[in-house]
Amino acid sequence: MNSTLTQEELERILNQAVQDVTERTAGVRLHQEDMSPGEDMCTVQITFDKGFHTSLTLCADTSLLYRMACNSFHEEMLEPEDLEEFSKEYFNVLCGRIAGAMFQATQVPAHFNPPAFYRGRFEPEGREVQFVLTYSNEYNEGAQLIHHVPCAQQDEDAGDIS
Amino acid sequence: MKRRVMIVDDSRLVRVQLEDALAGTDYEVAAYCRSGEDAIARYAEVAPDLVTMDIIMQGMDGIDAAEIILKEHPDARIVMVSSLAYEDTFERARKIGARGFVDKPFYQEQLLKVFEEALA
Repeated sequence: MNSTLTQEELERILNQAVQDVTERTAGVRLHQEDMSPGEDMCTVQITFDKGFHTSLTLCADTSLLYRMACNSFHEEMLEPEDLEEFSKEYFNVLCGRIAGAMFQATQVPAHFNPPAFYRGRFEPEGREVQFVLTYSNEYNEGAQLIHHVPCAQQDEDAGDIS
Repeated sequence: MKRRVMIVDDSRLVRVQLEDALAGTDYEVAAYCRSGEDAIARYAEVAPDLVTMDIIMQGMDGIDAAEIILKEHPDARIVMVSSLAYEDTFERARKIGARGFVDKPFYQEQLLKVFEEALA
C-alpha cells in the first residue's frame, strides 16, 4: 500500500477536483493560467487534521466567488453573508472530493475541519507554501489554490503522512 | 404521481442542487430539513417516499439520524449524500439500513439511479 503522494500526483488530484467541482456546482469553467487574483479577494481555508497534516487555501477574486454563488443559488443579487455561506459550502465539497481522491490513492482517510472564510488574503500561521495552482475564468477573474505544509515538516512528498 | 423526497442537509448549495436535479423528474421535494434532529421530528408528518441524508451536519450526524428514523419507521428509504465518504462510512451506513450512497457533487443520472435502486 502506497501511503504517500508525490507533489505531482497531489497537484493532479487538486487540479482535477477544482475544475470538476467548480463546473458542476457553479457552472464556471476554470483553466490553469498564471494570473493572480486582484486586490478585492476572499480566502477560504481548511486544515486536514487526520492522516494528512496539511492545509488547503483558496484565494479568489470576490467577483469570481460572487459569480459562482449567483449561479449556484440561482440569484442575481446576494448579501455578503450569502457569499460567505456559498464559499464555505463550495470549499467543503471541493475538499471532500480531494480527501476522497487522496484516500483512493493512499488508503489513508483525511479528515478536515469546517472551512473558515476571510475577507482579503489569509495566510495560515506556522505553515509554508508548498505549491500554488492558479486559475482564471473567461472574465479574467482569478483564483489560487495553495497547498501549505507545516513549516518544520516540509518534505519532498506533498502528502507524506506523519 | 410524483414520489416525495425529504432533503436533510445543512448546506443551501446542496439543497439547491438537489432541487435542480429533481426538477422535471418523477420526484418532488416534499420537505427540507437542516438537521438530523429536524428530520426525526418531521419524518412522520411528511411521510416521504425517500429521504436524502447528509452525513456531516451541525449537531447529530446523518447516520445517527437515519438510524433513529429507521428504528421508528423500518420501511423508510434513506439515501446518504456526502462529499466525504470512506469505506467505513459506507459500511456504517449499510449496517443501519441506508439504501444507497451518493457523492457530492452529483450528476442527475447518478442520483436518479440510486433513488430507483433505493425504492425497488
